[in-house]
Amino acid sequence: MTRGDLAWTVETRGAVRLVAPAGRIDEASATAFAERLAQEIDSAAACGSAKLAIDLAAIDYMSSRGLRGLTLAQRQSGESGIAIVLVRPNEIMREILAISRYDKVFQVFDDIERIGTA
Amino acid sequence: MKVRFWGTRGSLPVAQKAGTIRDKIAAALVAADGRKFADVNDARRFAEDEIGFAVSGTYGGATSCVEIEADEEAFIVCDLGSGVREFGLDAMGRCAAGHARTYHVFLSHFHWDHIMGFPFFVPVFDPNAKIVIHSGHTDAEEALRRQQEEISFPVAFDWLRADISFRLLEPGQTYEIGAVKVQLIEQNHSHKSYGYRFTNAAGKSVVYSTDSEHKIDAMDAEEAFVAFFGDCDLVICDTMYSLADSISMKEDWGHSSNVVAIDLCHQARVRRLALFHHEPTYSDADIQRMHEESIRYEELTREHAPLDVICAYDGLTVEV
Repeated sequence: MTRGDLAWTVETRGAVRLVAPAGRIDEASATAFAERLAQEIDSAAACGSAKLAIDLAAIDYMSSRGLRGLTLAQRQSGESGIAIVLVRPNEIMREILAISRYDKVFQVFDDIERIGTA
Repeated sequence: MKVRFWGTRGSLPVAQKAGTIRDKIAAALVAADGRKFADVNDARRFAEDEIGFAVSGTYGGATSCVEIEADEEAFIVCDLGSGVREFGLDAMGRCAAGHARTYHVFLSHFHWDHIMGFPFFVPVFDPNAKIVIHSGHTDAEEALRRQQEEISFPVAFDWLRADISFRLLEPGQTYEIGAVKVQLIEQNHSHKSYGYRFTNAAGKSVVYSTDSEHKIDAMDAEEAFVAFFGDCDLVICDTMYSLADSISMKEDWGHSSNVVAIDLCHQARVRRLALFHHEPTYSDADIQRMHEESIRYEELTREHAPLDVICAYDGLTVEV
């Protein structure tokens, strides 16, 4: 993996498509991050998923470019009727979400199991 | 080169209310916890060193006005917000002590909060003063004349005694004005705004970039700002909103956030960032919290040399 690459794992849990990127989301990787999220929204729509959950446990950090990529994805997913939620933010991501106030504009879950019941 | 902040508030001047001052005194007394002070200076040291700025001071309430002191041949001032009234009084004192009576003003744009101080800028009544208004806009003179029309103000523009002229500047050019080289960049804001970069003979540089929205659907455009900020000693940046506010309910309001400013400065290898154009509804405690969070975000996202994140307040002087 070179600088700018993110490692992704994807799984479907009922009506939730769970994607888990790993690495730093900065200026070098933000565009690829946003493009991959757009693909995942399309995939979630094709599978009939109601939610796209983005697992933040393995994110080293996310700059404003990455955060704004989340917002662009949220706008796109809204058109498809899919809700984007954030799950398992690590300590760094929890701080970044609080500082940017993104924890006010996204639903954030500590536990993957709670997404489906929310 | 010195940078003096005469007005740091965005949109609208604000003033402290009696209850706010009372709360600060009460918080200071609680922090003192019964301690006795030998004299006023001892108490002042306690206020400066042992209680937070939001209690011991205030970020102030005057709107945008920043002085860049490069030499004593000419004043350089960015924007004519309400802070320029106090700058004007101070400048008159310095002129009495021998400073040249030439003023180079650089306007970001003409929204009220950036020009409202001009009618109260005492040097405009000094017949020996020369005031050059530099702008990237073609309608700077119209904007300043219009706010002195009788419907808005009792003193007409033509009654002003100073030699006032207007100069149009273009992005992409480098101008030698006073003791500095000046460049400008067009910014995204209603009716456009311009950011300025000032570089002195020693190579020290200051960027003044306020009322500049970095659009979520045009993030590639930020590369131009990274280049403009490049290797700068001090960048003064519009950090009025949280990132979430700037891309939700306050999108297209023309302002930016602390985290975008930090990211741009990190990319540009800037040495110091001054948070500026504070939201008028923010209390001193709110601004201090935003400053502390900004410092933490800088730590969390730092990849290279540290970026010193300071928070501008009315009365702050920074040595560059």
